[in-house]
Amino acid sequence: MQKHILSLTVNGKEHQLLISPNKTLAQVLREDLGLTGTKQGCQVGDCGSCTVLLDGAPVNSCLVLGLQAEGREVLTIEGIAKGNRLHPLQESFVQAGAIQCGFCSPGMILSAKALLVKNQSPSEAEIRQGLSGNLCRCTGYQKIVEAVMDASHKMNGEVAS
Amino acid sequence: MLLPNFTYLRPNSLAEAVEMLNSFGDTAKLLAGGTDLLVNMKHGKQSPAQLIDLDGLGELKASQTKGEVMELGAGLKAAQLAGGLGGALPQTLALGAGALGSPQVRNRASLGGNLATARPAADMCVPLLALGARVALLGPAGERQVELPEFFLGPGLTSLAASEVLTKALVAKPQLGSGSGYCKLGLRKALEISLANVASWLLLEDDGKTIKEGRVSLGAVAPTPILSLGAAKVLAGAAADEKTFAAAGAAAAADARPIDDHRGSAEYRRDMVAVLTKRCLSQALADARRN
Repeated sequence: MQKHILSLTVNGKEHQLLISPNKTLAQVLREDLGLTGTKQGCQVGDCGSCTVLLDGAPVNSCLVLGLQAEGREVLTIEGIAKGNRLHPLQESFVQAGAIQCGFCSPGMILSAKALLVKNQSPSEAEIRQGLSGNLCRCTGYQKIVEAVMDASHKMNGEVAS
Repeated sequence: MLLPNFTYLRPNSLAEAVEMLNSFGDTAKLLAGGTDLLVNMKHGKQSPAQLIDLDGLGELKASQTKGEVMELGAGLKAAQLAGGLGGALPQTLALGAGALGSPQVRNRASLGGNLATARPAADMCVPLLALGARVALLGPAGERQVELPEFFLGPGLTSLAASEVLTKALVAKPQLGSGSGYCKLGLRKALEISLANVASWLLLEDDGKTIKEGRVSLGAVAPTPILSLGAAKVLAGAAADEKTFAAAGAAAAADARPIDDHRGSAEYRRDMVAVLTKRCLSQALADARRN
């Protein structure tokens, strides 16, 4: 199978990779770039644990071919802290006890981030809607919703970044 | 769960995509949003030798109004349609697109993919049917247009030839006194394939009280999304009120041909078609009175 050159930007850094067409974006991130914060759960687009932001929009990276990220910007969980300072969402998740086993957390946080960019003061229902593509098998949804609400309060007045 | 091997092709134009499709014949598949095809490939249900990626084609992502017809590019994402295209889109299609999958799925899934995949419960197909839409299919001999009832042939089966690309859906521009609705019933609120889903479209007379013409389409209760001819008959010329909508619901339930499966029983589905149709027509009426 012929490999192709893939140029993409991940967490602000440009990369050129040689990859097989049958590699998903999730695999490229984890295997070629070592960014294992993106989790692979169901691998068929149902669980959302592989959620990354593709040009700002949340997508299941298990259902995007790596080659389809050509020329595009990808944001993963590794890219949202500023240096050693956690993103407000990350802080709120820790403080609210919204992380249990942690497997869904990267996807939850990225979906929440995309939601808060579009809607700075979401209602509880809007948060639940925004996170409806992310499953938590620990079933810790209540604390996750509270964490997103808390982060939105913290971020208001600040520019969503 | 790994994808099987395939050759990846990225055409630069629609014409090139058609050319590629024809040079490979049946071994190639078109890749749109990938939310169905890549899943099927991972499950080993499909293993095309070539994937022709339409995702980057700007030609497929346009929407424009030509006279009384809205042309919706097959590459438009469900998320874009859910946003209503700046208020231009009939409500039923925006609601249907917004009910599909999850936010992540809607950012990938395309209008054309939803149509070509032709699932009986497809969230964009049922609204398009109520809107009286047709689709444009581009093949080596040029474009042909097919009305949706002739396009859907069975679960996953359409009249799209192996040599053709579905390029757009065409719907009438919303006119004064028209309105539409969409109601979906599932066991949960997201990432759900409907137990039953219903779309409606109404056109009122100038008096705002009488229905000139109406359409009701049903999902998940037949091998394809279907139009309820019985409901259309009840609606034409009738008063736009709850009594008419209930009668249309009964007619729609009679047209439904549901089966028992793990999601629900045929009996329950048929009953729900009546309820959803009534609700969905009230929604269309409120929309028509706004428009």
